[in-house]
Amino acid sequence: MQPSPEATGTIYDIGYRDYDGPRLGRRGAISAILWAGLRSVYGMGRSGRSKVLPWGAVILAVIPAGVAVAIKVLVGDVVELYSYENYLWQIGALLPVFVAAQAPELVVNDMRHRVLPLYFSRPISRLDYVLAKLGALTIGLLPLTLLPVLLLFVGHVLAAEDVIGTLGDEVGSLPAILGSGLIHAIVLASIGLAICAVAGRRAYAAGAVLALFLIGSVTSGIFQEQGGGLAGIAPFVHPLAILDGVREWLFGGTVDGSPVASAGVPMPLYGLATLVVLGVCWLVLAIRYRSVTT
Amino acid sequence: MPLISTRALTKRYPGGVTALDALSVEIGEGVIGLVGANGAGKSTLIKILLGLLPATDGAATVLDLDTATQGAAIRERVGYMPEHDCLPPDVSATEFVSHMARVSGLPRGAARERTADVLRHVGLYEERYRPIGGYSTGMKQRVKLAQALVHDPRLLFLDEPTNGLDPAGRDEMLDLIERIGRDFGITVVVASHLLGEIERVAGWLVAIDAGRLLRTAPLSSFTERTGMLLVETEEDGESLAARLVGRGIEAVADGRSVVVDLATGGGGEYAVYDALRDEAIDLGLAIVRIEHRRHQLEDLFRDGGVDAAIA
Repeated sequence: MQPSPEATGTIYDIGYRDYDGPRLGRRGAISAILWAGLRSVYGMGRSGRSKVLPWGAVILAVIPAGVAVAIKVLVGDVVELYSYENYLWQIGALLPVFVAAQAPELVVNDMRHRVLPLYFSRPISRLDYVLAKLGALTIGLLPLTLLPVLLLFVGHVLAAEDVIGTLGDEVGSLPAILGSGLIHAIVLASIGLAICAVAGRRAYAAGAVLALFLIGSVTSGIFQEQGGGLAGIAPFVHPLAILDGVREWLFGGTVDGSPVASAGVPMPLYGLATLVVLGVCWLVLAIRYRSVTT
Repeated sequence: MPLISTRALTKRYPGGVTALDALSVEIGEGVIGLVGANGAGKSTLIKILLGLLPATDGAATVLDLDTATQGAAIRERVGYMPEHDCLPPDVSATEFVSHMARVSGLPRGAARERTADVLRHVGLYEERYRPIGGYSTGMKQRVKLAQALVHDPRLLFLDEPTNGLDPAGRDEMLDLIERIGRDFGITVVVASHLLGEIERVAGWLVAIDAGRLLRTAPLSSFTERTGMLLVETEEDGESLAARLVGRGIEAVADGRSVVVDLATGGGGEYAVYDALRDEAIDLGLAIVRIEHRRHQLEDLFRDGGVDAAIA
């Protein structure tokens, strides 16, 4: 076979070229870390295998909303399967699994393989780095904590006979949907990153996240069964129950089966508990990243 | 206008260790060797210059920017290659270096273009699409250099860049450093404890010891006198040294080795070799090894410090 002359050009060494284009500085750096983080949370640019879990979790989180909307469209208002209030509690098991699988991806390798000095020798601070990673995981969680409930909302509205009227009735729920989704995402992301930052390896980090939620859930369930004084502390040993509590405190609507219903403690306590959880997580992150030597 | 300037720069760590002690130095363009034994304060100096570590006292500017207040602006135009491993194993060199370019503030397109350029310059070709975990030490060092170079810095800090490399890899790395300084027009500060390597690439030397500036001068003034020969013998070297001294050659025995000054004896370097050979044969002394004495900083800094050693 005779190669065509065009295809066999010589590679010329054109020497070193300066760069005179724009430099986006700290802002560019933060957004680069955030986007790269978001891509890695969803396994973009990685093997097909690393996409299975995050996308699978999103699909599983959205299916109940899709089914509920489909039934409403096909059969009508026979039964209300999911409300905006109880949706996140119902898909609760998915959230820790997602965090356990995807949060280590974001931070563990940078720490373990000492990549951090390369980040910190660029125009960002340690805080910028942590905030960008936190932002990536928070945004990455929104397709689970916000998207399905929004879908439920849109379905409710569009399936109604009087779309405009229903929109008017339902629009009041939007702040609750957005607020609850955002709070869930931020708190879960903070817990996930804090655990990953102190765990040395991805597997340990994933195990620790799962353990926290599993033990929390089981303990909370037992306390709830016992009733009495124990029922009062039942929600506070399980992060998802604390989140359900703060949701109820801020936006109202009781969820059947949640330990919050049977606890009977003043609702602002859930707000306080959420702040304590966030505070502890951020403190852990601050201490851990301050101690990284460059 | 110096690129780097420090005035009485001092760094004391909480434990009471003084890493830098009133260091005042000005560094201009070119390839600069920052030499000192391990623990002399080289890495501390680099971190302060990058604006990553506050100085206890004194001040420093890099590219006319204050390290205490304008660290981020400095780090936008400076590249840094750490001494230790710092690469994630599960991404490719292309992916990693272009990500690092973006974290340095380059837009996406420019980051991609410069990554391809720089990886070619450091000598990574097809393998750049494979995960870094499978690279040899030499290839990893090239990736580390590429990430420091990708955003076209004005100034490059390399901390022990030949660490862990075999002799061939070391030569290639040194050639690369030389090219960066000469052809790319980027000032390179190479921190090393191996004077022999610094000699090959640097035009200017900054020697520090225990956080103090020992000497800053063009390389030539450090290497004016390298004519020492280290002769290792099978038995005690005392008799050989005595014979050489008898011929007017300066020679000092130290156990089984003899240090011979090639510049003495009056007959030139080759006369010293001949004398060495003749006397060894005459004594029936087996010689294990003869080598030109390699200047290591440990030697230079021993008794009397650098000035005594090179005076």
